[in-house]
Amino acid sequence: MATDDVATDHVATDHVATDHVATDHRPDELGLHHISVRFGGLTALDDVSLRVAPGRIVGVIGPNGAGKTTLFNIVSGFVTPSEGSLTLGGRPWRPRPHHLNRLGIARTLQGVGQFNGMTVLENVMVGVRGRHAESEAWTALERCGVTRFAGDRPGALPYAVRKRVELARALAARPRILMLDEPAGGLDADEIRWLAGLIKDVGITVLLVEHHMDLVMSVCDEILVLDFGKPIALGTPAEISADPRVTEAYLGTAA
Amino acid sequence: MTRPSVRESRDAASDVPRGERPRSLRRLAPPAMILAGALVIVGLSFLLPPFRNYQLATVGAYFCVTGGLTVLTGLNGQLSLGHGALMATGAYTFALAQNRWLSLPVSLVAAIVVTTVAGLVIGLAAARLRGPYLAGLTLAVAVVVPSVTSTFDEIFNSDQGLSVALDPPPGTIPVEQWQAWLCWAGALLSTSLLAVLVRGRFGRDLRAVRDDETAARLAGVDVARTQVAAFVVSAACAGLSGALFAVLAQSVSPGAFPLTLSLFLLMAIVIGGLGSLAGALGGAFLLVALPTLAQAVAEGTGSPRLEGNLALVIFGVVLVVVMLAAPGGLASIRFRRRRTS
Ligand SMILES: Nc1ncnc2c1ncn2[C@@H]1O[C@H](COP(=O)(O)OP(=O)(O)OP(=O)(O)O)[C@@H](O)[C@H]1O
Ligand SMILES: [Mg+2]
Repeated sequence: MATDDVATDHVATDHVATDHVATDHRPDELGLHHISVRFGGLTALDDVSLRVAPGRIVGVIGPNGAGKTTLFNIVSGFVTPSEGSLTLGGRPWRPRPHHLNRLGIARTLQGVGQFNGMTVLENVMVGVRGRHAESEAWTALERCGVTRFAGDRPGALPYAVRKRVELARALAARPRILMLDEPAGGLDADEIRWLAGLIKDVGITVLLVEHHMDLVMSVCDEILVLDFGKPIALGTPAEISADPRVTEAYLGTAA
Repeated sequence: MTRPSVRESRDAASDVPRGERPRSLRRLAPPAMILAGALVIVGLSFLLPPFRNYQLATVGAYFCVTGGLTVLTGLNGQLSLGHGALMATGAYTFALAQNRWLSLPVSLVAAIVVTTVAGLVIGLAAARLRGPYLAGLTLAVAVVVPSVTSTFDEIFNSDQGLSVALDPPPGTIPVEQWQAWLCWAGALLSTSLLAVLVRGRFGRDLRAVRDDETAARLAGVDVARTQVAAFVVSAACAGLSGALFAVLAQSVSPGAFPLTLSLFLLMAIVIGGLGSLAGALGGAFLLVALPTLAQAVAEGTGSPRLEGNLALVIFGVVLVVVMLAAPGGLASIRFRRRRTS
């Protein structure tokens, strides 16, 4: 018994010393189980289940008011589900907004949520806990191509730059799960192409809410379609674009 | 929509050398700041006549509270109308402790501790409130605290207040000079601590909460805890300030900390420049200078009864003029010049 313990300890220490990635024990697998949300009489989410596997890029689409942002609010702890439960890394989980960062979950807000009273660099530094906040922030700014705005106030910058700064803040803490709420909203084709590249290359679990179909179809491994809070389809981009219920939901609201 | 120039920046990004990255210009080490400030004050105190030294001391005492208030209101976005009452808490605690133990350090610490606890209680309630509700809560504090003194009048001696026993200054130092040293020791110490605090993580959290609570939460900031911490820090400064005013007046009474005091404090930090410690210093100076000006004007026009209201009027006018000319307050004028040069 005792020798066993020692052996395990030894292996574990070796592991730490040689493999940096394996020391990151923050979970990157997310599960939603029969989630329902009611706001008074309105059912914003109706029995939604979804497993976001490690490293996968999962899209959530649906017409306006379908409950996409509400889904994000559930996962980030801003809204408590009326029914159902969440798991993180396979364990039951009750999210709290300010714990997400530490757990390795980053989320951007629909539109931009920014700190206009501080510089772009400081904005990104808010997202990094620990002693290396500044250098990590620079790395994130570099990755999003906005280093030269580091000293500016975000309020004065073009919308596309602000969106990138927000992405930089989300990425600065090196999350394992990235939740993006309409990151392409208000951006032009070039910007969206850049964004698609970033999402594909980011190498972590991504949950993407987006109206821009080309983007969703090109980057996602899997797509969940919501309509009035109900999950009406779940599948690969090819399956989703061939699904008559999906086209109906979109045409139905367009008419 | 114009095409934002993000793509150029992406290419430019790689050739920004790390050394040339913009850095805050205000990186003077706090010990150096304290030392420089102390030298100036001590030097000044030998040159000034007693009454000017007394005024210098008063600026220092005000600087403690405006420094703390500008962190709370300017950096964290929490409006407080209760800082006059917190000063009263500090002043009364100081008076009671001093009359019992006659030890300046003990009484000062007691004043800070008790006011900090009061700030914690108010802060816990305040963290749940926003905007007008927060203002309402702090207003209630401003009204309730002075009335405590008349309810428990055997302790606080009601409207007459308490006189404060003080040891004479060491050696042959004139009282006013000693007061200036004391008040500025408190001011320099507390505001340098504030400067250190707000420079790093805590300062960023404060401003993040002020600017966007939701985004701050998602970035890992515990909003409620940050708000309570801001109140606690700010209250500690108000407590110290109150104690210093007790030293200056050698007495405390509820009349010394009226609601208008809280209003004056707010106006002072807005005029000085919200969220800036330099602005808080400017505000503290105005808090002493403008009433003096009002007094001079009132005496000049031969209507001494005008004096109290005139100070408020002058403050209001200065506030309006500064807001029109430099919405960021006096501190921002200097800042803007530096940026354009
Ligand atoms: N906190 C709330 N209280 C009451 N109703 C809410 C709340 N949040 C969302 N809703 C309602 O729930 C429904 C779903 O809203 P949600 O924001 O999740 O939609 P969405 O799919 O993100 O839409 P969009 O594409 O426009 O962003 C809407 O009818 C909305 O009005
Ligand atoms: Mg939405």
